[in-house]
Parts: sequence; C-alpha cells; structure tokens
Amino acid sequence: MAELIASPEFRGQFMALSRLRWQTLFNSLRSTRGSLELFSRVFIGLLYAVFGVGGAFGLGAAAAYFASQGKVEFLAFLFWPVFLFWQLFPVMATAFAEGITSSHLLRFPLTFPSFFFISVTYGLLDPITLVSELWLAGIAIGVGVVRPSLFAATALILFLFAIFNILLSRMLFAWIERWLAQRRTREIMGVIFFLLLLSAQFIGPLIAHYNERSSRQIGLVVSQISPVQRVLPPGATAAAIAQISSGQWLAALAYTAGLCGYVLATGWLLAIRLRAEYGGEKLSESAPRVKIHTGVRKLQKGWDVFGLPAPLAAIFEKEIRYIARSGPLLFTMIVPLVMLLLFRLGPGKLGSLGPHMAHTADLAFPIGAGYVLLLLTNISYNALGGDGSGVQFFFAAPVEFRTVIFGKNLAYTAITLLQIFVIWLAVCFLYYPPSLSILFTTIAALLFAWPIEFSAANLLSLYSPKRVEYGAFGRQRPPQTTALASIVIHAVIFGVIALVVFATRMVGKFWIAALVFLLLAALALPLYLFILKRMDGISSDRREDLISELSRVRV
Amino acid sequence: MQDAAILTRGLTRSFGSFVAVQEVNLRVTSGQFFGFLGPNGAGKSTTIKMLTGLLAPTAGQIEILGVDLATNPVAVKRQIGVVPEGMALFGRLTGAEYLNFVGRMYGLDRDLTAKRAAELLEFMELASEPKKLITDYSHGMQKKLALAAAVIHGPKVLFLDEPFEGVDAVASNTLKAMLQRMITRGATIFLTSHVLEIVERLCTHIAIIHQGQLVAEGSIDELRAGVEAQIAANATGEKLTLEQIFLQIVGGTRAVEQELSWLS
Repeated sequence: MAELIASPEFRGQFMALSRLRWQTLFNSLRSTRGSLELFSRVFIGLLYAVFGVGGAFGLGAAAAYFASQGKVEFLAFLFWPVFLFWQLFPVMATAFAEGITSSHLLRFPLTFPSFFFISVTYGLLDPITLVSELWLAGIAIGVGVVRPSLFAATALILFLFAIFNILLSRMLFAWIERWLAQRRTREIMGVIFFLLLLSAQFIGPLIAHYNERSSRQIGLVVSQISPVQRVLPPGATAAAIAQISSGQWLAALAYTAGLCGYVLATGWLLAIRLRAEYGGEKLSESAPRVKIHTGVRKLQKGWDVFGLPAPLAAIFEKEIRYIARSGPLLFTMIVPLVMLLLFRLGPGKLGSLGPHMAHTADLAFPIGAGYVLLLLTNISYNALGGDGSGVQFFFAAPVEFRTVIFGKNLAYTAITLLQIFVIWLAVCFLYYPPSLSILFTTIAALLFAWPIEFSAANLLSLYSPKRVEYGAFGRQRPPQTTALASIVIHAVIFGVIALVVFATRMVGKFWIAALVFLLLAALALPLYLFILKRMDGISSDRREDLISELSRVRV
Repeated sequence: MQDAAILTRGLTRSFGSFVAVQEVNLRVTSGQFFGFLGPNGAGKSTTIKMLTGLLAPTAGQIEILGVDLATNPVAVKRQIGVVPEGMALFGRLTGAEYLNFVGRMYGLDRDLTAKRAAELLEFMELASEPKKLITDYSHGMQKKLALAAAVIHGPKVLFLDEPFEGVDAVASNTLKAMLQRMITRGATIFLTSHVLEIVERLCTHIAIIHQGQLVAEGSIDELRAGVEAQIAANATGEKLTLEQIFLQIVGGTRAVEQELSWLS
C-alpha cells in the first residue's frame, strides 16, 4: 500500500480524479439551481453534523462512564449500534453511499491496486461514513479522557474497526449490486428473504418464551451470547480494548489479530468484485443470446390498462417494466418488509399506545405503510431521472407533458398500493390483522398524503432532475435540493398525521381521525390537479435544462 | 410553387450572448430529401431541435406542413418523426417493447402497433434477439431502432440528426433502404450528417449553415456551379465532390501547418 501511495503515477492519477470531482461539483454550482443545491448541501450537511457531533458526545459520555466503572468490555454495547448503523442504514436507504462508476476509470492506465484504492476511497466523505467516524472518535476521546493511558491503543483499534466498516459497506454494496443485476440471482435472493420471513413465525414464540423469564434467566442468556458476540467485529473491538485495559496483552493481541483477519477477509471479498469490474465485467439484465427464426413474427401487444388511453397505458407499462427490471428498486421495495421482520424479532410487543393502538399489529401496519410512502420518494421525486436522454422523446411525441407525468404517477401509485397490500399481508402473517379502525385511518391518511406527495414529486422531477441508473445499487445520491425538500414535505405530512391522531385520541374519539384525513385529502386533491395542469407549461419552460441534465453522462 | 413541408422565417436561437442560429430562413418542399450540413458547432443540431420542438427559438417562426409549431405543437408532432441527438431511447426496454411504447404514444392501437413493430424489427434485422435490452444493443442497432421508432406512425416529415454517425456499412445500408422507402411514399426527410458521401448520394437538396448563418442552399449541382464560378480555375476539369464544395464554402481548406511538439 505504501509503495502504491509513493508511486508518482498513482499520485498523479488520484489527484487528477480528485480534481475532476471538485471541478464537476464546482461547475454544477454555477447555475441558479446549483446555488439552491449548494444551499441544500450546506443545510443537510449541518443536520448531519448535529447528528454526528451529538452522537459523538453521547457515545463519548457513555464510553467514559464504562471506562470509569472499569467495564471497558461494555463498549461492545456502543460498537454494535455504530456497526449496525454504518452497515444497515445505507443498504436500507440504498442511496446514501457514493461510489465511482468503474467504466469511467477503466479507460485510463490504472493498475488494479490503484483501482482498488480509488474505489475504496471515493465516497469516503459520504455522510454516513463521516457520522460513523465521528461517533468512533467520540468513543475514543471518551475513553481517553477517563483513561489517558488507554487512548492510543483505543484509537488504533478503532481505526482498524473503521477500516473494517468501510471495506464491509463497500463489499456489501458491490455484492448486492452483483446479485440484484440479474434475474436469476435476484430470484435466489427473493427466495432467501421469503424463507427468512417464514422463519420469523418460529422465532416469535421463542422471543415470547424468553419474555416470560425472570431477569436472572435473561442475564444467563446474555452471558451465553456474550462469547459469541466477542468473536464478531464489534465485540472483538471491545474485547481487544478491554484486554489492554486489564493488561492481558496476549489476549488483546489475539482479538486485534482477529479484527485484522476481518479486515483482510472483507478486503479480499471486495477485491473479488472489484477485480471482476477491473476486468471489464458488464452486468447485464438481458437474457442469454438466443437466436430465433427469421421472418416476421407476431409480437406481444402493449398492455391494456383498465381501458386507459393509449399514451397513458404506454407510459404506465414502460414504468412498470423499468421498475421490474431494476434490482435496486425492487430491493428498496422489500425494505419495509425487512423492517417489519426486524420489528418482529426486536421489540416483540411494542407496548400500548392507548385503547386504539393496544397491539403491535396496530402500530406495525401504519408504520409499514408510512415507510412505503417514504421509500416511494426514491422514484417519484426524480421521476424522469431513469429516462436519461429518452426524455427527449416525451418532448418530441404528440403528447402533453401532464399525460407523461400522470402516467408515471399512476404506475407508482399502483406499485405503492401493491406494497401496502403486501405490508398488510405481512402484518397479518407476522402478528394478526390490524383492527378495522387502524386500517381505515391509515388508508385515509395515505389518501391525504398522496396528493401532497405527488404534487411535490412532480414539481421536483421538473425543477431538480438528475440522471440515475436504475441498474446501479447505491452509488448515486439524489440531488440535495430534492433531499431537503423531501425532509420538509415529510415533516409536514407526518406532523399533520401525528397531530390529528393524538388530538383525536386525547378527546377519546379516534374514529374522527379518518374523517379528518378524508377532509384533508379532499382539500389536497385540487392542489395536485392544479400542479398537474401546470406541468405542460413548466416542462416547456424547462425543456432545455431537463434534456441537458438528463442526457448528461455521470462522472 | 410546391407546398413547403418545412418553413422557417428568421429562426434565431441565442444562449446568453452567444447566437447559435441567426435568422435562418429555410424552405423544404414536400418530398425532398434535404441535407443540412455544417461544421461542428455551426448550429445544425440547434436548428433541428427547434424544428422538432425540443428547443424553443429565441425569435422566428416555424411551420411544418403549414401548421405553426409554436401555437400547435401537438398537431405538428403527430405528423413528424424524429431521431434526435442521443437517440432518445429507453435503455431498459427491449426493442419490441420500445416500438410498442412509441406507437401507442403516437395514438396507434395495440394491434396495429404490434404489427408494425414486428415488421420494422424484421426489416431492421433486430428481430433475432427479442429479449435483449436496448442498453445492450450495439451503437448501430440503437440507430436502427431509433429510426424504426421514428417511422412507426408513418410520419410525413422525418428529422434525422446524424443518423449515420458511428454506423457500419451494413447497418448504414439498412438505414438508407428505409429512408429511400420513406421518400418513395412521399415523405420529406430533413437530415444532418457529417458523412458527406452518403449525403451526396441520398439528398436532392442541401443547405449549409456556418457560424449560425445559412451560407448556401440549393441542389448539389447548383452549389457546385456556385463554387466553381468562385474558384474559376478548376484545373483538372473533374466534377467537385460535395466534400470539396463543403470545404470551399465553410473555409475548411487551410493547410494544417502547426506542429505538435511531441509528434514532430
């Protein structure tokens, strides 16, 4: 590695790529939209900074407390959440990690070590990595304040732990992208997930069984789990520091060596994927090449979608086909199910929120549905992003732009409805059917959220477009203007929903909530229709920006 | 006088202070195979984008088949087919799905679209791999598909921006055969291309744009006569090729004398 970094050729290449990234960013900020993007970046950056620094203080304080009480091995309680956040959050959100598109690098005379190093370091400044690193720094400082003699060793071991996490997140993204890229591997993943869902039925009673045990017995279970977690990276990290603190140098060395082993193994697995990319691998969705007979043959006709006019049906079909062929988008759609599963395995019974939300199922369904709505933003807030230069066709075709947008809205709505139905089934399967009042109130709340969501989504799709590749997992952050707007819009929507729910609960008339949501939906619908009507004018005014932005090749 | 399929008056497009196209007046009569030439950055693509509704003119008027593009864009778009720069394909569809999509966007019914799509795929030699996504097509296959999509609804006017760019001789032959069929059935074709040999062979009329302004227009013989009159001494007596005419008009005949330090 040192030899690589010392190489003048590599340093030149690395600097050139860094400069390219900087210049691309700088040039993109020149326009009015760029200024808005800069503002959004700064604002979101501040939010992350607060999250990161706040977390670092909290974790640092906890670490200091454990160190002061001589319970250094309890640091594992801090490392596990950091580890899970670092690894799971980007995968669940699918859009927070940045990576480089290998095809842009391969034309240059890069050696594999250079390619590997650049691929790993690119996106090292993404928010999740920075926040997680801040938290680890907080823990190291917390330990160092109470036990200064332990600071250097803690910092060194946490540095190893950070490298492991960086490599692991890159490795997970690379392999998930590989598995999602083709139908066959995607189906295998789907089956595994389905089996996992089924297994939850058997794990549930187990959790219930332990819930009834006394705290002494639970302590026994924890002590049984402890040696297992100690051989896993977060546990090994804590154990290494704990052994140093108690002067057990040999054991500390063993745990540190174990951690190094994890780093090497993860790096090796990542290298396998990157080696394939370096060799020019192209993951294709197409079926294997099968030559068929010549001569005009009958083609399958386009879809007839509930008697919709031809252009609307065509757009609906195109959108559904696009999403069905995008592994990453399909993955996004099962994330709410994963969350439900974690819910089931985690808290078990979430506790009572009063007579109308007495059961976990009553809470799981609205939360699952809300999560579906949140994830919808991945596609709806940048509805033209996946079309790339194909957007020109919409301007050249004899179709009003509002029809294009409405067709996309219909397709996304159909997918959302399907997802919500699946969530309902999963809730019924994992728990039991949610009560009718919760079901109706959730549906009414969704009806209220729908017009607002799509009004915002349609405007942002035209005002803040960004070309995205539906086949790439992660590696493409949304425009920060869209991200910021999304935060504000969802804060308003979920804020209003929460307000209505709690107000009606306070007066003891929860059934009113559904009526209020229906009334709000009736008020929001004209807003949606008004904005939809404006789509023709806005798209006409913005067609040059849209075409140039969406036809642009991403660097 | 024959009807004008394409008519522009004072067509102008500025980007800030830069004038990309300046007061272009074009008249393309119905049934013409019209070649629109110019060096890189001359304003060809900008003009074709304005003619097809992809770009708003800063000033001037466009009429396609007698219909004003600014006031009635949808009516114009029904009558035209376009292969724009970048081809406007949807990469994650198969060729057949894309043609089905395009046909229905132009209002054709499902049966007719499927029938035409099947014929076009066969004609363009794209039918043999029905499951292949467009993103996995070669460049030549994409060009052929883009042309198939542009003609599926039977347009009366066809706009093609660099249809032969990056296309091999075999694919080029298929494209030319398709264009000849369109001309035979009375369509008007407006084409930009850097492949001057093909333009010379296909086009009946030529216009040359240079630095945003129309600098020559007419049949190839008319342009040739104009250039020969200017240079007077055509010593060999051979007919000037379109390339020679083009270079003469846009001033591209200067000798490249500058040396490159590392290639000397």
